[in-house]
Amino acid sequence: MTGKRKRLPGDARSLLALAGIVLLAIVFSPAASDGSRIFLQAGNLTDILRQISIIGIISLGMTLVILTGGIDLSVGSILALSTSLAAMWLTGAGQEPGYGLRIFYALGALNGAAVAALDIQPFIVTLASMIGIRGLAKWLTHNANIDIGFGRDVAAAFAEVFRRKPLVIGSYAALAAVFWALLARTVFGRHVRAIGDNETAARYAGLPIRRVKVIVYALSGLLAGFAGVLYAAENHQGNPNAGVAYELDAIAAVVIGGTRLSGGKGSITGTIVGTLIMGVLTNMLRLNNVDSNVEMMVKAVIIVLAVAVQRQRRTD
Amino acid sequence: MPELLRAESISKRYGGVYALQGAGLSVAEGEIHALLGENGAGKSTLAKIIAGSVRPDSGRIFFRGAPVSIRNPRDAQRLGIGIIYQELDLFPNLTIGENIVIGNRSFQEKGFVDFARIEFFCGPVLDRVGLGRGARELVASLPIGQAQLVALARALSMDARLILMDEPTSALSDDAAARLFDVIGALKRSGVSIVYVSHKMDEIFRICDRATVLRDGRVIATEEVAHTTPEALIRLMVGRELSTTGDRLSSPVNFPAPLLSVSHLTTRKLRDVTFDLHPGEVLGVAGLVGAGRSELGAALFGLDRIRGGEIRVRGAAAHPRSPAAAMRLGIGLLPEDRKLEGLMMDMSVAENTTIAASRGLIRRTREEAAIEPLYARLALRSPSWSAPVSALSGGNQQKALLARWLLVNPDIVFLDDPARGIDVGAKQDIYRIIGELAAAGKGVLLASSELPELLRCSHRILVLNEGRMAAMFDAAEATQEKIMAAASGAVAHDR
Repeated sequence: MTGKRKRLPGDARSLLALAGIVLLAIVFSPAASDGSRIFLQAGNLTDILRQISIIGIISLGMTLVILTGGIDLSVGSILALSTSLAAMWLTGAGQEPGYGLRIFYALGALNGAAVAALDIQPFIVTLASMIGIRGLAKWLTHNANIDIGFGRDVAAAFAEVFRRKPLVIGSYAALAAVFWALLARTVFGRHVRAIGDNETAARYAGLPIRRVKVIVYALSGLLAGFAGVLYAAENHQGNPNAGVAYELDAIAAVVIGGTRLSGGKGSITGTIVGTLIMGVLTNMLRLNNVDSNVEMMVKAVIIVLAVAVQRQRRTD
Repeated sequence: MPELLRAESISKRYGGVYALQGAGLSVAEGEIHALLGENGAGKSTLAKIIAGSVRPDSGRIFFRGAPVSIRNPRDAQRLGIGIIYQELDLFPNLTIGENIVIGNRSFQEKGFVDFARIEFFCGPVLDRVGLGRGARELVASLPIGQAQLVALARALSMDARLILMDEPTSALSDDAAARLFDVIGALKRSGVSIVYVSHKMDEIFRICDRATVLRDGRVIATEEVAHTTPEALIRLMVGRELSTTGDRLSSPVNFPAPLLSVSHLTTRKLRDVTFDLHPGEVLGVAGLVGAGRSELGAALFGLDRIRGGEIRVRGAAAHPRSPAAAMRLGIGLLPEDRKLEGLMMDMSVAENTTIAASRGLIRRTREEAAIEPLYARLALRSPSWSAPVSALSGGNQQKALLARWLLVNPDIVFLDDPARGIDVGAKQDIYRIIGELAAAGKGVLLASSELPELLRCSHRILVLNEGRMAAMFDAAEATQEKIMAAASGAVAHDR
């Protein structure tokens, strides 16, 4: 190719894909009674944002983990444990184990420590925690959902607050901004990318590889724990079976956003765009009453297409 | 002798930059033809075009007088053109035999693997390259020199008439290189032609018949090696005079107290190594491949466990257990393999330079203010500092890596083969920086496989042999012969 044609940066490319999906959503949007397009109604657009917030928050931590060349399969289970603990704590059910997001930071740090210190592949470490933490959540709750209820107690008040659109969307936006700054504007973020790019070289440059790894897995756990709080509020219950396959949705959002699965290359903005692509797509299909099983098949195609388009542009 | 290959007016552009601009090459049958040039001159691109792994924008190639079109490596293979890349393209976890037959058009394979047949097929070519190993051994178990012979055997088994070799000796010990030259000589006698891409003058004058010099993507000259001199070829390559020897440094007189004292240092690879390094001193570290040069750096930089002996920095005992700890002691290490151990290839030039020094928030203007004078000092050329470091030539990549350590500014720095595989101009820049570091009172350890480089840059030279100290010479009394004798274990272990 000639040097004149300017290459689009990765973020711009996924933005283009997002624009395409939004356009499709507008074109195929059913009309409301007043003739306007339902997709474009403010209520619908904020619904999309609310719906993507939980996966979106998890994807932020996942981006950092993947950038170091790792993966975190345990986030869905951590979310389930978090919903369960939150509901138990609020309703005083069970042994009242207490609640604090610290727990999830610690669980994530445990993942990171096993990856960094024991030098076990992240896939295996987090696969084990995915199984183990799910087991813990089910054991603590005796495999039952814990309803938060709609009464006038603290639990119901909590749910009312934490399921409000502005709070959910606002916390996603705030966390996205924090993680963007962390990755793009701090030396820590640079170290994250450096480790994924070339871990041997990172070691020779004297970078604190273990510490960075422990922190990224801990942050991933922390975010999954916080997402669990939002989930519990949204659904008015703690559910030890919640969040199944959320890790895969998060990974999908990250790779659609242009982050390389082997690490080193990627961005938070890309992940946000990737999350939006999935959210708008889901919304479009649901507005058109597409069967949810068909929805999964369409998503599968979109994931492959999105990544293929980015690859092609990169190599030509 | 009849002409085997002729390439004419080959041009190749990457973006707006010409890698090759109307370059050509003519190779006779049974000829060993050197392809010379600084990094970025286009020699690797030309070799890859002939081997079909890069497609030219324009140009013609003739093989045995007939015009041919080489669109991919299979086309080249069909014609009898093979290439041995600098980074060998072998599968370490397959056997020698499997590496030779994989994708080999002369050996049809279907369904199950037939090791007996593979062995039978590989026997003759393995004999021809003199690899004393069985076809069933794993490539991962071979030292680099023997792995290279496997790559060569693979090319021969495809009935290659022309073999392109891209800096084949850059990772070889002198022994292994000498064996490779024997094999190359035997191939020449059997009528095989070789295009030999190299920086090393002594090799070119030892084995090559003619040399084609490239500069900035154009052919400057093709010379009969017998009728030219190294100085003349270097002049053609760089377009200016360069001294290959330079003045010897005077031997150390009255150095102040040592910066670094190593006594009886023993690691997995080293045995009982003892020396002092003074402020302002360049201590050369010589030895054959595997003698423990890099391992000495690894031990000092906290990458290897210390089993015995003592390291003192400014008189205080110091046992760095990690690179970060070594850096706190004021020790730095420029690693041997810049791609594997040094650079983050997808990150920018600037990021690669600042990665070890920056803390906290990224302040781009401050970082640029810090690296700008460094790049000027190193004569580092880069399209932009935010360009990925992979876009730079080898010499400029090495400078970006050296800049990282100039920014960290340790008192003691171990440079592991800092001028390996880079062009002559960049080498001179790096030698100059070594001198400047010493002049600024730093202690420099310079490990190198190139003896002229050690003789030129060092005050003293430490020679290792199989992990032990074989000798310590003052620069004034050292000669290549003395160092080689000590490195190969020919003299007693005295200092």
